[in-house]
Amino acid sequence: MTLARLCLVAALTLAACKKDGPAPDAPKPAPKGLTVGLVTDVGGRGDQSFNDSALRGLEAWAANQKSLDGKYVALTAEERKASVPAELEARIKELGIKPVVLQSKAQEDYQPNLQLIVDQGADLTVGTGFMLENAVETVARQNPGSKFLLIDSPVLDAKGAPQALPNVRTVVFKEEEGSFLVGALAGLVAKEKVGFVGGMEIPLIKKFEAGFRAGVKTTNPKATVLVQYTGSFDNVGQGKQAAQDLVSKGCEVVFHAAGSDGNGVIQAIKEARAAGKAVFAIGVDSDQSHLAPEAVLTSMVKRVDLAVWQAASDLKAGAFTAGDQTMGLKEGGVTYAPVRIEIPEKAAVLQKVEALRAKIIAGEVKVPSNTTDLESFTAPTL
Amino acid sequence: MILALLNSILDAAPPLIFAALGAVLSERAGVVNVGIEGMMRAGAFAAAVAALVMPTPLGVLVGMLAGAGVAAIHGWLTISLRSDQVVSGMAINLVMLALGTFLLEAVFNSPSSTPAITQLPLVFGHSPLTWLALVLPFVVHFVIQHTAWGLRLRAVGEKPQAVAAMGVRVGPLRFGAVLLSGALAGLGGAALSTATLDRFEHHMPSGLGFMAVAAMVFGRWTPLGAAGAAAFFAFGNALRIGLASSAPQLLEVVPKGVLLALPYALTLVVLSVQGAKNVAPAALGQPYDPELR
Repeated sequence: MTLARLCLVAALTLAACKKDGPAPDAPKPAPKGLTVGLVTDVGGRGDQSFNDSALRGLEAWAANQKSLDGKYVALTAEERKASVPAELEARIKELGIKPVVLQSKAQEDYQPNLQLIVDQGADLTVGTGFMLENAVETVARQNPGSKFLLIDSPVLDAKGAPQALPNVRTVVFKEEEGSFLVGALAGLVAKEKVGFVGGMEIPLIKKFEAGFRAGVKTTNPKATVLVQYTGSFDNVGQGKQAAQDLVSKGCEVVFHAAGSDGNGVIQAIKEARAAGKAVFAIGVDSDQSHLAPEAVLTSMVKRVDLAVWQAASDLKAGAFTAGDQTMGLKEGGVTYAPVRIEIPEKAAVLQKVEALRAKIIAGEVKVPSNTTDLESFTAPTL
Repeated sequence: MILALLNSILDAAPPLIFAALGAVLSERAGVVNVGIEGMMRAGAFAAAVAALVMPTPLGVLVGMLAGAGVAAIHGWLTISLRSDQVVSGMAINLVMLALGTFLLEAVFNSPSSTPAITQLPLVFGHSPLTWLALVLPFVVHFVIQHTAWGLRLRAVGEKPQAVAAMGVRVGPLRFGAVLLSGALAGLGGAALSTATLDRFEHHMPSGLGFMAVAAMVFGRWTPLGAAGAAAFFAFGNALRIGLASSAPQLLEVVPKGVLLALPYALTLVVLSVQGAKNVAPAALGQPYDPELR
């Protein structure tokens, strides 16, 4: 009697478990199209930077859609053409995937948002930005059957060392290589002095500085590079003051890697130009030309969109692999935005920069990514 | 070098000076105002939004009104309802932080900033608000020290019962001071979005409101002292920035975090040396209850 009861309970429990969802190894129904989910960091949609770039890779490039008043509508041919840069036009194909996007209002949202996307049956879940590192690690461990992409950071263990999870791909960028090219451009445009404004003085921002300095040294060995760190990423006033100082000391081109402080940097350059000084700003992360078209020479662009699109494309081809990836100039992960401003001998200047790009891609030039490597860096001959 | 330093201070100090003057007005009347940060944020946002549809100087006025509007909530909570003044101020900061972000998304569909506006035109190379910030501390000083209203304001912060005994109503007097305080904080915020930058940016005012309260303490609750402290903080920051580019080797000796924390550290020093009790208005933080003697 008791044994029979126990068997019944066990059988019912098993049946109940089965109802809860298909076992992870059960064959999936015929693919109706893949779903790729994305969780933004607190910057969210419309940050005109990191998150918007990731969303472009997913929504516009991979799904050929745009978000309009909370609904998705298909892109027109012109909109798609405007979204995909010319050099990637041949490569970026529409993938026919279904995007699901959740925005995070606070740090506490990262983990629940990622889990929600997994629960909705997404075939790949993207965490946008290093701030989601911890949340991606937790959710990936809890859902070993799901695939994840983490942008801008490896998954770190308790000691801060990178660790590999079997279901997570991470992508980081060689910011120093893109910074090197804008540094080379700055060195060609400026005569004597160029400036750099960093946000917090952390290794990631030092990568920008080291690459930029090396680029300037390559094209203009005599030029001085003046450096400012604002100590923040959220203080427009500090960025403006830092850039005003650099301009007052004769810097002709100022590159920033300072988040929101950078808006102040571009503002300072804009105002200095209005006051008659021939100075330029160089933006960061995405093409910041729209902030001050007459003042922004170019921007060091991180192709987050490409990293997201590539993961979705690999997923569709059944070629998605976990592991840490690094995207530099060679992989198209970093580049500089089109130079829209007229500068003297523009074609020749850009030709020199492009020659340097080719050398880095060919491995002839190794760009330093920290102060120590910068000291031992010998500039290549042009 | 000196000229660049001076220009840097003239550009950076006004928001801090306005907000510090605002803090003085409220606290001299006996109402703690740690909500300056939130009031600045309201002013910055409202000024930028208003300047999209009207001339920027009018936008600045709207920013002041918005600051005063938020201050009215603080006044209602602390004067009418006699709730804790610090708690009310902090609540205002939190609500304004969220509300600014919410409105940016709801109205402009962007988490980062409003569209660009026309900046205030420069007067002698600086924003007109810079020149206002040079004059206003003396005006506030005159009002507080040399007018009947100012005398009552100071008295109501020291011993409200005495003021009531003279036949002056404490509540409205304090409420007026809090409204003016909010308007000045709003002006400080408007300076950020119409002079420092040409739009509202979602981080504004990035802690400047708290620095303004620190300047007020450093300036011993006086208008000239608070404005002087604000200018001094701006000078310290400008000096740090100036040295960073011209003498980087100097900064390698001093950890940079120390320099960034200097204004707050100095305020702590002032508090511990002078003993805030002797300097702060005696009735500061105490809700006025007419039934108590």
